[in-house]
Amino acid sequence: MSIARFSPFELLLLKSRSQVDTAKLLLLAWVLCHRQQVSEGQRRRRLAQVSVHFRHGHELAPVMQIAQQQDLQAIQLAAEVLRRECSREHGLGVMHQAIAVATDTGELSLANHYILRFLADLFDVPPATLATLFQELTGRALTAPEDPSRDAYWRIHDAEHYAKYEAEQARQAEAARQQARQEQQRAEQARQRQQEADQAREQAEREKARQREQQHERERSRRHRQSHQEKKHNHEQPYRATPPDRTTRALAVLGLMPGASKLEVRKAYRRMAQMHHPDRFYTESEHRIALASARFQRIKSAYDYLMHTYQ
Amino acid sequence: MRDLYQRLGVSPEANDEELKQAVARCPNSALRQDAEAVFGVASHRQSYHQALETLNDIGQLRARLGLTHGAHWQGDVANDFSRPPDQAVSRHDELVDRVSHAVSLYNRVRGRRGFLLLIAAFGTGTGIGIAVGFTLSRVFAA
Repeated sequence: MSIARFSPFELLLLKSRSQVDTAKLLLLAWVLCHRQQVSEGQRRRRLAQVSVHFRHGHELAPVMQIAQQQDLQAIQLAAEVLRRECSREHGLGVMHQAIAVATDTGELSLANHYILRFLADLFDVPPATLATLFQELTGRALTAPEDPSRDAYWRIHDAEHYAKYEAEQARQAEAARQQARQEQQRAEQARQRQQEADQAREQAEREKARQREQQHERERSRRHRQSHQEKKHNHEQPYRATPPDRTTRALAVLGLMPGASKLEVRKAYRRMAQMHHPDRFYTESEHRIALASARFQRIKSAYDYLMHTYQ
Repeated sequence: MRDLYQRLGVSPEANDEELKQAVARCPNSALRQDAEAVFGVASHRQSYHQALETLNDIGQLRARLGLTHGAHWQGDVANDFSRPPDQAVSRHDELVDRVSHAVSLYNRVRGRRGFLLLIAAFGTGTGIGIAVGFTLSRVFAA
């Protein structure tokens, strides 16, 4: 037993001289409410204009009010009444009116796209028929509704925002570029200074050498050789100071720095193995395949060794 | 159109901070870009929200009217906005029930009208009698 009171739309239906027309009115008002850039008065006048031949026999204002409140239960009731009472031809007539009401300011709004399709399903109008009906009435093809959940939609509909955003980005990039340029200049200056200092030192050394040359021509050649040897010595020293153990070498094969974690090793191995797997080169010459398999073997043994030692 | 809230796993009432976190967490870069475009700007979010509500309503209506598999309800919209049918009561049947209930109540009241009138007359008569007796006793006492 329902104790709930009759809702305004139910009362309206009960009082109406024609329930079908009242239901139609509500659905058309629903479509009207989702039309954009239309004032309240225009909506009301349009509804009155549409309902000239309706036999509902009550005021339009309450219907408009219910539609504006988006009263889902009322809309459901109206849809049920219409589905029960309307024949197919009648349904097409309602679709006709709905399309006219939805498009007489031009663009079909997004909500109305979906509402019209809902009504088409309600009256069992197949998509092809709806498309032709729309084409006939408006002279334009019925397009798919736009999708505001996508970036592309906002690029079209809010180009201003994107223009502003891009200008901002360009400004930031310009600032970054300037900073980089300044830094480069500073670095160049530092390099120049260094070069000057180097030149000065070289000159000083040359001076000394010349003096020494004057003193001992024979000794000079010997010292020269010695200094060469020393230079070589200096070059080799960092390598010799930390002799690479096998772990470091294995890490270097995988392109990692000493102290890499196990996870990094695994990731690097996967990447390298994919890159150098001999199967990748099967279309190429045997020589290349052989090279690739040698590389792959090296990577694999390095990985095996690392996995073994890391545990 | 897609339900970005559902796809990001946040509630539609989430505030900006929660939304931003959810967008940053999103592993799909295309979806993240779209979500940034929609939720990054207040006006975008608002109009998106309106469209979302309309679609939610239509999805519910379709579920209740058995139109969830309609020819015009396909793709992303159908995926994100189709609702499972709730205990769908036909509003029209409900209205008919309610009207018939009201009618039977009315008829019952009409059928017992004579009896009810008698009770009412008896009640008023008693009331008047008591009132008169009360005032008379007051007058005589004075």
